[in-house]
Amino acid sequence: MIKKSLLALTLAGLFTAPVYADVTINGFASIKAGMTLGSDEQLYGYSDELDFKNESLFAVQVMSDLGEKLSVTAQLMGRGREDFDAEFEWAFVSYQLTDDMQINAGRLRTPFYRYSDFKDVGYAYDWARVPEAVYNLDFDNIEGVSLYRTATLGDFDSTLQLIAGAFDGDAVVTGLTVQAKIDSILGATWELSRDWFSVRLAYLAGKTTLSNPDVDGLTAILNASGLAGVASAIDVDEESSSFMGVAFTVDKNDWVAVAEVTRTEVDDSLIAKQNGYYISLGHRFGSMTPYISYEKRDNDAKRDIIAMLPQGVPAALAQGVTEAVERFEVKRDAWNLGLRYDFHPSAAFKAQFTRLNNDITNDDASLLTVGVDLVF
Amino acid sequence: MQIIKIVLLAAMCCVGAAQAEIAVVVNPANNNAVTADELSRLFLGRTSNFADGSKATPLNLAEGQAARDEFDSKVLNRSAAQLKAYWSKLVFTGKGTPPKELADDAAVKAAVAADSTAIGYISSGNVDDSVKVVATF
Repeated sequence: MIKKSLLALTLAGLFTAPVYADVTINGFASIKAGMTLGSDEQLYGYSDELDFKNESLFAVQVMSDLGEKLSVTAQLMGRGREDFDAEFEWAFVSYQLTDDMQINAGRLRTPFYRYSDFKDVGYAYDWARVPEAVYNLDFDNIEGVSLYRTATLGDFDSTLQLIAGAFDGDAVVTGLTVQAKIDSILGATWELSRDWFSVRLAYLAGKTTLSNPDVDGLTAILNASGLAGVASAIDVDEESSSFMGVAFTVDKNDWVAVAEVTRTEVDDSLIAKQNGYYISLGHRFGSMTPYISYEKRDNDAKRDIIAMLPQGVPAALAQGVTEAVERFEVKRDAWNLGLRYDFHPSAAFKAQFTRLNNDITNDDASLLTVGVDLVF
Repeated sequence: MQIIKIVLLAAMCCVGAAQAEIAVVVNPANNNAVTADELSRLFLGRTSNFADGSKATPLNLAEGQAARDEFDSKVLNRSAAQLKAYWSKLVFTGKGTPPKELADDAAVKAAVAADSTAIGYISSGNVDDSVKVVATF
């Protein structure tokens, strides 16, 4: 705790140093408790024992207006599942080019999803968590540059974001821990909204390289066995990758509906095409907002790769390839039923029940989460 | 059932009567007209200019002030919690900061009278010559 306070102080000190700087400090926090309801069930980091740490987090954001259209923003976040070790979630410099154009440079949130930018700020949405069937790409932040352009098109407000950057770090891809490098990331998102309706489109592309000891071992054996073609169909070595997403929100007469569909592809590699979507409907009754949502992930393993193996390869090798490819098959869906209760001007209480069905492993699970999201 | 309805109706009438009208005010030197839509865009941070292209500085009343709740619900069509969620989306992504909040009608009036770019709102009863009314709700 002390370390974090010191860091926060140092941060504040850094940014307040010039006397004319106008500093704004904001923060948000989530305190969540959850447990699965069946013995031995595991879901989203919870088990059948009540856990208060997994999804709890604290964050402080410091924004310093340096004048002359320049500002610096840094967000320091400590997540319970990482023992609340505070890290810079993002830190960037913004320059206001014109009234409707802004450039951000530094460590930025990757704008994959509708709620990517503020998915850690639970207070900003009704659910206990963003739907995992869609929000599962583990490349939350990239280092790069982003340009925002806002405009008015008839009755609509348009926000266009262009982004360029790179990711380098550890990540988890469909349960597999990898060392990841994504270069030459280029992307665009476009959001059109009017009073009660919004639509958002996102497209990002890059060159992905992933390494994992098991997969690297397998491709080494394939190469040594003269099966370079199969090895290259499996390895993830500077492969063209793309992400596409479409989201809709409707907020009218106290009804709130949200839907989002995404697809991720990594060409010429063992990573399956990843498809996900969710649909959510809620209704505001004063300070109470009950909601129901359905989410689904549907990734077909690239069995073509297994079919590339010639007759007579050693059974162990064939099995290795099959297992490596098939672990990327995902068929799971979940129903979520929950309630947001705005019991305080800056805090919301949430309770959510999730029932997940996994068609591949047949480990179904039920999860109950309660907690408080706040902003300050 | 009838009795309950009557009681409810009576209660609604009283609530209605208790709601004071609010006046949107600008500096007397400001000649822009402001529509309800523009007002909502200004106070939601979607634009920072008046119709003539000049800079606009929206000023909010502090939470808990009667006119603030009225303004939020009548002009912005959102509850206090919805607005807080809306702003937290912008604040925590570095995309915007909410309008400055002032303690009460007197503070808003003084700030608007002193700044030709300012736009605020106060209870109609507190309007005087130091500011110009561009809309009432």
